[in-house]
Formats: sequence, C-alpha cells, structure tokens
Amino acid sequence: MPKSIWNGTISFGLAHVPVKLYSATESKTVHFHEVHVSDGARIEHKRVCSKDGREVPFKQVVKGYEVSPDEYVVLEKDEVAAAAGARGKVIELEDFVPEGEIDPIFFEKTYYVGCRDEAEAYRVLRAALERTGRVGIGRFTFHNREYLVAVRALEGVLALHTMRFHDEVVEADDLDVDKPGKGPSKPEVEMAGQLVKSLHTKFDPDDYEDTYREAVLDLIKRKAKGEDLTPAEPEPEEEPSDLTAALQASIGKGS
Amino acid sequence: MPRTIWNGSLSFGLVNVPVSLTSAARDLDLHFRQLHKKDGAPIEQRRFCSKEDVEVEWEEVARGFEPDNGKQVVLTDLELASVQPRKTRTIEIEAFVDLEDVDPIYFDHPWFLLPFGESEGTRRAYQLLLKVMESTDRAALGRFVMRTKEYLVLVRPRDGLLSLTTMLFSDEVRPTDGIAPSARKPAKPKVDQAVAVIEALAVDWDPKRYKDCYRERLTRVVRDKKKGKTIKAPEEPKQPKPAPDLMEALEETLARMSDGKSKSKGKSKAAAAR
Repeated sequence: MPKSIWNGTISFGLAHVPVKLYSATESKTVHFHEVHVSDGARIEHKRVCSKDGREVPFKQVVKGYEVSPDEYVVLEKDEVAAAAGARGKVIELEDFVPEGEIDPIFFEKTYYVGCRDEAEAYRVLRAALERTGRVGIGRFTFHNREYLVAVRALEGVLALHTMRFHDEVVEADDLDVDKPGKGPSKPEVEMAGQLVKSLHTKFDPDDYEDTYREAVLDLIKRKAKGEDLTPAEPEPEEEPSDLTAALQASIGKGS
Repeated sequence: MPRTIWNGSLSFGLVNVPVSLTSAARDLDLHFRQLHKKDGAPIEQRRFCSKEDVEVEWEEVARGFEPDNGKQVVLTDLELASVQPRKTRTIEIEAFVDLEDVDPIYFDHPWFLLPFGESEGTRRAYQLLLKVMESTDRAALGRFVMRTKEYLVLVRPRDGLLSLTTMLFSDEVRPTDGIAPSARKPAKPKVDQAVAVIEALAVDWDPKRYKDCYRERLTRVVRDKKKGKTIKAPEEPKQPKPAPDLMEALEETLARMSDGKSKSKGKSKAAAAR
C-alpha cells in the first residue's frame, strides 16, 4: 500500500468526498551524493552568514524578498504562510470542463486520489466524471501554497493534476518566428505523410526504456570493478539537407 | 526573445531540421533569499568535507553512489560524461503515435522547438513536419540528450509551431494498485444526480478564468510588510463532514443552483473570480 501525502476533502456542490492523495510519479534518475574527491567523504552544505562568515542555525534563517538591489523585505515563515489562503483541507471543484479541451501543457504534477473512510461518494464522482467526459477544476492548498488543479477519472481512480496558470504558459504569439517564403510543395507533404505512416505505431510507454539511466548504472559497476573510463568524443553537427532528396531517400524512392 | 536552452537538429528519416529549444513555461513565482535574522545579511551555502570539516571548492567535488549492498563508488564529472550517447545534438524521431493515446501523466516539461538559423531550407523543412503532423493528429516520439541526461520526448504541433515535451518513463509512473476502492458500481440515481451537478457547473475551458491568487496574496504580503504592517496567518478551517446522505446533498445542490440562477449569474463564476 503506498503512503498518502495528504488527507482532505474534494467537494462539488454540497457533496463532500473524503480523500487521500498519493504521488503518481517518481523520478528514477540515478542520484549521487556530493563527495570530497580526495577522501570520498560526504560533502555537507552549511548555511553561512555572508557578513560574519559564521554558520547560521536554521532557526535564525528568515526569508528575504529583494525589492531593489540588496534591499530585502524580511518575512517570517508564518507571514509567508499567511498567503496560503484559508481554504484548509478542501478542494472545491468550481467548474467542470471538457477533458479534451485542456492542452496538456497546463498539467504540471500528477497525484492519485484515493478514498478515505467510505467509498460511495468517491465512486459516484468518478463515475459521473467518466460519463460526462469532464474534469473538475478547483484549488488546492498544499504545504502553504495554493495550486489550481484538475481532477479527472483515470482508469479505476481519480487523478489530480496541479496546473500552470495561463500567464505561466508561453504562447506561440510571444515568439517571433519567421514563416518560409515558400511553403513545402504538395509532393513533399505527400512524401512526408508516407514517412509518418510508415513510422506509425501504437503508443505503449513500456516500449521505451531509460537507456541513459542504464548506462549510468553500468558505468558505476565498471568503476567499482576498477575499469578505466574514457570520455566519448562528441559528434559533429549535421548540415541541413536537400528536402526533396532526403524525403525520397527516407521512403526508399529515387537515389 | 526567450532564451535558447539547446540547439541541434530534429531528424526525421533522412531529413534534418536545425532547431533550437526554448521553454514553453515561465516561472512567475516569487523567489525568496535566505537571510540571517540577526543582521539581515544573505546566507550562503558552502560545502564542507564531513570528515575534515574544511571548506571544499567546487572543483574538489565528485559524485558518490552508494549501491544497496556495497561500497561507495566515486565518479568524477568527466567520467560521468563518458556515458553521453554519441548523438548529442540530434533529436531522433523514432515513431509517430496518435496523440490521444499518450496520457498527459507522462508529460514533464513543455518546450517550443523553433527553426534555427536563417536558411530558407530549414524553415521549409520545419513547416513540412508541422503540416504533416497537423493534418494527421499524430505526434512524434524521439530521444535527445540535454545537459548530460537523455530524454524521451514527444513533438507535436501547437499554435503553428512545434512543441516538445520531455516525458517520464513508464516505470516513473506508479501503478494505481491499492488506491482504487473495491470495484463496486455506484448507485445509478446518485451518479445521475452527480452528472446533473457537473452539467450545471459545466463551462468551456478558458485558462484566463483562473488567476494565481497565491502569487497575488504573497505579493500583497510583501508589500504590506514593506509598509511595516503586521501580517497574521489565518486560522485553519475545520474539515467538512461528508453529508450523511449523498443523494440529499446532490439534490439540495441542484435546488440551490436553480434558485441562484434566477437571482444572480450563478455560483461558479463568482468562485472563479475569487
């Protein structure tokens, strides 16, 4: 049984669903400790006052917001907490939007929602979301910070995504990209279409392994055996190619 | 113009499109610096050797890995760099998949891929890839290396540009085992009522409806503090008790909503503006 990270309530209208949250994702990147190269001892990070050079205990640390160069507004930890809002442990679903309309670019981190105590309200909400094809939008306060969240039916459970706000998402209009004077020709689009077709496959996440992670773990093994490790040479950059010729060669036509 | 994080080429069959990568998300969070309460001086993080208790320069730091059962293995950054796959400057498209088959749970960080350089050929090749994906609702799966780590990525059209999302690997998404309640069908009349509540609160997706109230409040806290005001944390409200009768709660919700609609614009809009 996974460990829950939050206990609370999801409400829609006057109906309350007692829930628990679980992390849905975990990074499997190989993590290293910092060590001192000469003796292999662990590196410790110490907080040091930049003025008197002495170590500072955590209790003596406050948060500073820089309002102008070197001028800070000092906030105590509970003053920062005051911004969290007063919603406590309730995620109120205020709007329900069609699932397909939200560009996944808005989704940040995913949690699974499990039920707490009785399960009927949970089952009802999940079934109703699934039937309508909608996701509930609400706000969620976690570790003194408020998030916009989307709650949706996913397989047999509810999933909760924390979301980016609209001004945190860069739009194409914010970027200045020149269009080509002449677009691709019809035969080029057709050839590219064939290429897409020939490379088309059904997405199965299990087909893709983190080969980099494996290579790092392999490197660790080799080093442990005392092997000599030599860095690889980077590859030179490739030149842009003649579009039509490259497409023809890719789908096995022409030269 | 936003910052370019990486440039290289997107390769698709034998077609190579020089591209640059720029983040599609901006960080608007308020960032704080740690200060020493006594004198207000910024705090620095310094590295010390835990054995000798002397400060250690960055050049003296290596990477230690502790296997579950065994001795610590130490790697230098140079040694670690040797696992970089050879093709460090290419995003190689391996397959095209239907976008609807990729659950957003796999999405990590969003980026834009932009044509790189002035060449007309580059722009045409970029446009070609964009067009062909737009017309088929398919996305390209590929791999590339950024800052020594290899990523699985999904390239798809977004607003007339190519977007790229780094993705999680399947074993980084946890199974839902033990989270779902025992599989039992909920009572149909309750689901019908819940659907009615959802339909009553249904709106189109418009990200501009939702403001980052936390960011606004925190900005206000900083401003008030600067003026010398006292800031008090609000008390935590009590957890609501689930209604003893779910059916009644849903019916009551619908009744109040239809009452509210005749008087005001509805609850949902007011809630969103909060």
